[in-house]
Amino acid sequence: MKNIIETRALTKQYKNQRVVSELDLAVPEGCIYGFLGPNGAGKSTTMKMILGLVKPTGGQIRVLGQNADAKNRIALLRSTGSLIESPAFYGHLTGRENLSLIADLKQTGKKEVDEVLRTVRLTDAQHKKASQYSLGMKQRLGFAAALLGHPKLLLLDEPTNGLDPAGIQEMRELIRRLCEQYGITVFVSSHLLSEIDQMANHVGIINHGVLIFQDRLSALHEHSRARMLLHTTDDETALRILKQAALPCACAHGRLYLNTGKEADILRAGTLLFSNGLGILSLAEEQRSLEDIFLELTGRSVM
Amino acid sequence: MTGLFVELKKGRHKKLWLVPLIFLIVLFLWSAYTHQNADAEDLAAGYTNMFYQVPLMNTMLMPVLLSVLASRLCDMEIKGQTLKLLYTLQQKGSFYDLKFVHECFYLLLFTIGECLLFPLSGKLYHFTEPLSLPLLLRHGVVLFLAGTVILILQHILSLLCQNQIAPLFIGLAGAFLGLFSMFFPPALTRVLPWSYFGAFLPYGMEYDPATRIMSFYELPFPIGLFIGYAVFGIVFYLVCRSIFLKKEV
Repeated sequence: MKNIIETRALTKQYKNQRVVSELDLAVPEGCIYGFLGPNGAGKSTTMKMILGLVKPTGGQIRVLGQNADAKNRIALLRSTGSLIESPAFYGHLTGRENLSLIADLKQTGKKEVDEVLRTVRLTDAQHKKASQYSLGMKQRLGFAAALLGHPKLLLLDEPTNGLDPAGIQEMRELIRRLCEQYGITVFVSSHLLSEIDQMANHVGIINHGVLIFQDRLSALHEHSRARMLLHTTDDETALRILKQAALPCACAHGRLYLNTGKEADILRAGTLLFSNGLGILSLAEEQRSLEDIFLELTGRSVM
Repeated sequence: MTGLFVELKKGRHKKLWLVPLIFLIVLFLWSAYTHQNADAEDLAAGYTNMFYQVPLMNTMLMPVLLSVLASRLCDMEIKGQTLKLLYTLQQKGSFYDLKFVHECFYLLLFTIGECLLFPLSGKLYHFTEPLSLPLLLRHGVVLFLAGTVILILQHILSLLCQNQIAPLFIGLAGAFLGLFSMFFPPALTRVLPWSYFGAFLPYGMEYDPATRIMSFYELPFPIGLFIGYAVFGIVFYLVCRSIFLKKEV
């Protein structure tokens, strides 16, 4: 699969603080790529660098198969749509007038304004001043602006921020629909793992400016496979015996874990412990959630 | 052209034309007040008097007018957080230039309005002095140039400041500085951009306290100062523009 966004050693440094460090992103075409990370991890800065709003300190960016630089930036971005941090709009203009301005700059027809208004369900409120819109409507207006010009790529920075549950659900469905119906690649950032889990099929996790995981979401789910919580008459000796037998095991927070769900391994561990005179007091399966994995990867908690 | 068209469209519903109009009304009212009791001698020097006094009024009014104008046009971008969207659709430099052109358009409207105020006053108050069109043209050119230089400052300030109180305050402070600069030594006056509304007066004035008679004398046009100020304006614009281009959103 071709990558629609590729970065090589992308770095941004402000004085002594490295906000983004040697980032190697690979966003496959046609996917919903969830860019996940805690607040302040460098998500917005990365997206701004891709859009040319922030100048990278080092590294390369390829968008739509071309090296993005100051010369071709605007031409490249004509095939993209973006919604960074909060929706941009002129409060004194109506929703339609706002979109009409963007349509002029993107050199698209007026018909498209009607189309995107329908897509984000703002047709009824199109003649209302944007300052009178609710937060959800403003977000949808920003989304509509991003959709003008039939973009191949959408960059959305925390698009569900501040929305109520119904708004979040609506935005999520809209993103999925755009990807499925029109084949638009969506690069969406969030600090909410559940958000990305419900929407994306590829995921990149960034923490302290460093990309610590990047793969299909299913690969991340594989990390969440079951492990066995084991309690024996002597956990310390049991750990030593299991390690000597090269069985995947670990001790965390004073608890002994057998990091496998395979029946053969469990049976072998039981037999080994029994033959060494250790009794098994309890054996229980423990499913690791994505939150646990995220916590393990980033060392920081998420909602 | 699309960029300029879009920039002008942003001003819809903003009633931006009201800003120069209000200041023109203030000038008109001032003109009405000064000419209400004019005698034959005053009417014989009606335009001379205006060519001397209107630039002094401009020294007070223009910095405020320009700060309000720049603030109203730039604040819509700051409040709406539109820069991060616009920079993906147009070059930063292009946005900066077009916004400035938009502001200059209203400055031009004011300049034309003020120039029209001269024959209008002449007609209304029956000036007996003929209107010198070259002097009127000179007045318009000087007003537009001095206004443009102040607008360069207000433009960058309004785009860089999240809160428009600071640029408005600087506009107000500029009005006072410009006014008081008339009492400063000439060398100090020349370093204050707000003082230039009164730097190209076509007439000087002498006042005799004993007879309480005011008499005007012609002044040559300081072409060197005019060119120097215009060059300063261009350099100042380029410096401000490069500062703006370096700012990330």
